[in-house]
Amino acid sequence: MRKELKFTVNGQPYELYVKPKTLLVDVLRNELGLTGTKKGCESSSCGVCTIILNGMAVKSCSILALQAEGAEITTVEGLAKGDQLHPLQKAFLDYGAYQCGFCTPGMLASAKAFLDENPKPTEEEIKEAIDGNVCRCTGYNSIIRAMTAVVNGDYKEAK
Amino acid sequence: MSDKYAVIGKSQIKVDGPAKVTGSAKYTFDMILPNMLYGKILRSPHPHAKILKMDTSRAEKMIGVKAVLTGKDTLGRKNGVWRRFPELCDEEILCREKVRYIGDPVAAIAAVDEETAEAALDLIDVEYEPLPAVFDPLEGMKEGAPQLHEHAERNINVTRRIEWGDVSEAFEKCDVILEDQFHTSSQAHLCMETHGAVADFGFDGKLTVWTSTQSNYYIQVLLSTMLGLREGDVRVVKPPSGGGFGSKFELDSAQFCAALLSQKLRRPVKIILTREEEFTATKRKTPMSYYVKVGAKKDGTFLAKEVRVVTEGGAYTAMGATALTLTGFYSCMPYKWPNYRYDGYRVYTNTAPTSALRGFGAPQAYFAGESMIDVLAAEIKMDPLEIRRKNAITPNYEVPGQAYIQSCGLKECYEAIEKHIQKRGKLPPNRGIGIGNYAFMSGGIFNWFNTPYAFSAATVKINIDGKVDLFTGACDTGQGSDTTLAMICAEELGVHLDDIRVHAEDTDLGPADLGSWGSRETLMNGNAVKMAAADAKRQLLEFAYAKMKPNVVYDLDIKDHKIYMVDRPERSISYFDIVQDTIRAKEGQTVIGRGHYTPHRKGMVSPAWGFGVQAVEVEVDPETGKVKLIEIVTAHDCGQVINPVGVIGQVEGATMLAAGGAFCEEQPMDNGKILNPSIGDYKVLRSLDMPKTVGIEVDTYEPEGPFGAKEAGEGLTSPTGGAMANAVYNAVGVRIKDQPITPEKVLNALKEKEKGRKKK
Amino acid sequence: MINDFEYDAPKTLKEALSLLDKYREDYKIIAGGQSLLIMMRQGLIKPEHLIDIKGISELNYVKFDSNKGLRMGALTTHSTLEKSPVIKKSFGVIAEMEKRLASIQTRNWGSIGGNLCHGDPAGDLAPVLIALNATLTVASIHGERNMLVEGFFLDYFETALEYGDLLTEIQVPTIPSNTGTAYTKFNVIESDMATVGVGVSITLAPKEGHCKDVRIVLANAAPKPMRAKQAEELLRGKKITDPLLKEAGEIASTETEPISDIHASAEYRKELVKVLVKQLSKEAHLRAKQA
Repeated sequence: MRKELKFTVNGQPYELYVKPKTLLVDVLRNELGLTGTKKGCESSSCGVCTIILNGMAVKSCSILALQAEGAEITTVEGLAKGDQLHPLQKAFLDYGAYQCGFCTPGMLASAKAFLDENPKPTEEEIKEAIDGNVCRCTGYNSIIRAMTAVVNGDYKEAK
Repeated sequence: MSDKYAVIGKSQIKVDGPAKVTGSAKYTFDMILPNMLYGKILRSPHPHAKILKMDTSRAEKMIGVKAVLTGKDTLGRKNGVWRRFPELCDEEILCREKVRYIGDPVAAIAAVDEETAEAALDLIDVEYEPLPAVFDPLEGMKEGAPQLHEHAERNINVTRRIEWGDVSEAFEKCDVILEDQFHTSSQAHLCMETHGAVADFGFDGKLTVWTSTQSNYYIQVLLSTMLGLREGDVRVVKPPSGGGFGSKFELDSAQFCAALLSQKLRRPVKIILTREEEFTATKRKTPMSYYVKVGAKKDGTFLAKEVRVVTEGGAYTAMGATALTLTGFYSCMPYKWPNYRYDGYRVYTNTAPTSALRGFGAPQAYFAGESMIDVLAAEIKMDPLEIRRKNAITPNYEVPGQAYIQSCGLKECYEAIEKHIQKRGKLPPNRGIGIGNYAFMSGGIFNWFNTPYAFSAATVKINIDGKVDLFTGACDTGQGSDTTLAMICAEELGVHLDDIRVHAEDTDLGPADLGSWGSRETLMNGNAVKMAAADAKRQLLEFAYAKMKPNVVYDLDIKDHKIYMVDRPERSISYFDIVQDTIRAKEGQTVIGRGHYTPHRKGMVSPAWGFGVQAVEVEVDPETGKVKLIEIVTAHDCGQVINPVGVIGQVEGATMLAAGGAFCEEQPMDNGKILNPSIGDYKVLRSLDMPKTVGIEVDTYEPEGPFGAKEAGEGLTSPTGGAMANAVYNAVGVRIKDQPITPEKVLNALKEKEKGRKKK
Repeated sequence: MINDFEYDAPKTLKEALSLLDKYREDYKIIAGGQSLLIMMRQGLIKPEHLIDIKGISELNYVKFDSNKGLRMGALTTHSTLEKSPVIKKSFGVIAEMEKRLASIQTRNWGSIGGNLCHGDPAGDLAPVLIALNATLTVASIHGERNMLVEGFFLDYFETALEYGDLLTEIQVPTIPSNTGTAYTKFNVIESDMATVGVGVSITLAPKEGHCKDVRIVLANAAPKPMRAKQAEELLRGKKITDPLLKEAGEIASTETEPISDIHASAEYRKELVKVLVKQLSKEAHLRAKQA
């Protein structure tokens, strides 16, 4: 039997009815059409499904949708303000911090959640921030450089 | 005009970037079509068995199931990429009478949702007669071993010999002769987007397939053959693709089954492989066993090398025949061996088929080869860098009868690495730096696919507002070919990168291209694009000459939207004006330029070669054997760099993949069953594991390449295994000859060494 | 694919316990689900009833006072422990261990209670708690019972929980003075599960400086987190020296019964135990001297 789920995603409140077994990632992708967030494994290991829930980076494939009741969720689609990209997105573009792009939405979510909480991290801490996100293309170092540039204030937030 | 180039050589934001960083890029994984069904595949649980009986009736009756198809519902054809050799086209995909590995497909279901399709798999009853199976290629070659394919006696799938000079005679003249054996394990591609396809077979009899692929042309041709359709009635579209690395340029089970189901039902069918299927039932890196014998003079001059390789082929040929050929070729590189002989054997085994993984036989060849060179250097008491430098290939060298090499930046690469090692100075205990070098093809010259088309082709269309449409068949799976080709086009045509719109994903729109594998795109497709852009430019310049009326001794060119006299650059007119003039003068026709490229008279392997030297620094814990990667420095020659930020990404990405194969990635098996089919159990480097990487670009110019450019992306996977083995040896004095170099192997070797020392 | 199940999300402990009693044996409890959901997605576990306790806020807390020591609600997340000022200050080894546990994402959602109840002998939390002589409380509709964390683990993925039970709290006594505790795990990939893990706590006699008490706890060296009691015996009452630590490592290694799997052979695990027990005991000793 379906149960009621009320939450906010990218600033938009939603009221849904979902089966209890539905995973959060499937609600985001299939019910809300937010296909930016991907799925990459069945063992909760790859991190491509990462989103931001109440300010925390979490794997949306490993959370029942109903556990997100009342939560505030940000997905990659919620990073830009209108046509203004988030500093992390701009940095990723400049530093080539993506290639095939499949891990990128989850990577951005991990990066943003981390930097929102730790605006002045060490390089080691930046590496830890994305250690839960597997990337097969970039070798991670360009992502670290992009995040470092944001930490150094090279990119400004849009108003 | 001060800078040499206006567009290339400067870092550009990739054209697909904005879509990817905003999550708006729609992958095959994301596609939903109206009336679409979801498919799942039933796979063999046995490594080798006859299919005695199949009963799909229970599955068919399940509510929500629309079709259940088996091998009997196919034309019974066998798929293969080596189409010049019909006996190597040996994979039915949906098996009819026999299964040959755990994971071999036997049935496909289409249902209203994924859950129903998966549940219905359990309702298909298959009666198998298990047959004796063989998992080790050496066992497979023995008389009386279980035979996988009727045509392959002793399971020998392919043999290859590459030879010049006379090694037996040459060994007689050597002062030093060494021989040894090496082994490299399998590796999974681990594309973040698994294999998948959405197939839509219309009532008009035409099929469209959206799929994550490295070659939509190959898939078009192979699907048309397997389904009995005309090539032109199959349209393959490649949406943004989540990685390939060599796993996605053959027809796979998702594509074939989705197309077959859609053909039957005339509704779109989507099949996305699970991560477990991705590990167990897609192609993987070819494991290889090496016997190497080298002979040299005591001054370090190389005289003779003999190599014998046996590869674990898995159940079908796939691209394993190419890996067998290439590894034999790379085994002689990047040195001048006056005498060389390679014998390769690819043996069928009842395991998941082995094929191409970034490097395509080179990482394996260089693991064995570069390890051996260090041993040889130690034997002759020569510095490992010196012995390499002494025998290295130089520009304009011909590998006897095999390949003609024009540009070669090895000398500069050695210098750069030598400087780096000197700067590192004396290392603390248990640390070592090892080197490995490589040569790698910049576009394979192979046409065993038997296409009559040019290897690459491109069309450039200039519209009335000066905006350019670039049509090519090159498939961008993340390596950045869309951007590289757009940059080449923009440079040649004298426009900006954002004037170009790339159309590279649709077989209906773009000319055929053999695909993004074997490092083809920058050089081969780049040349085609440059030619097409030059063709379009020529048409514009005809009208510019008429307008500017310069003296006939002057040339015109285009740069930064200005058509100018090359010797008098201050005299210029607007590109946009000339475009308008040209189109009007051509009765309103857009300006179309055509280009193509197929290498000729360059030998049998590649029209150009990339080179590099890599230094890997490791720290080994002698108590646990754990190898920590400290730094990887690569000096490499890719000719003219097109997009610097793209090349850096390729260096770092290739290094991560190669490092994984060198020290932690493998696929242990038990009776043909892969034991670690999940991320987590399969070890992959994450951000905390990645060492500092430095890329040093060495400047050369390759005459065969567009603006002098060569590949940068695949060759870079080659040297790391050997360099790491050498580094571990330099750190703690043990040589691991079996990749991956795990802590347990290192510790066991250290203990053996200690035992040996105590005995003395 | 996950099966269809009946779902309840109690908001209080009392509600949860009565549901557990109602469903008898036919239920699974989900907290963070970071272990459970993997198994459910793969169809390995198919419960009739799923009781979601993630929303029971009364079980989410970190409290410390010098009498009762550290008390953590079972639903506290790993992240909370990692960042807790009181834990960083007075139980630093817990924060250190948490920093290397899985990934940030897992730590943000997974609960410490869920981690313990999963019963994985390779888990990082148990060896640290056992080294700190921790206890825990299990509640049911019939009342509460306390036990040592050490006694909570019975076998591979099997704990002392019975149907109707819910783990509610973990207690860590105030660390005695002159005590040092350290934990590490061996792996090839930084965030991987432990090939083997070792947690050591050493208390020194204040004047004489010898080892007054010691606990050596091993992860993934046996079907459950185990104490290397013979190795402990060797050290107890003695002055700590390097040769003694080396011997302790060797003895600890003989006490283990590790498995061989795709990640390591049993022999290699035993070798690792030798080395890590020696190294970690030395580290704990150093910390005890500094304490």
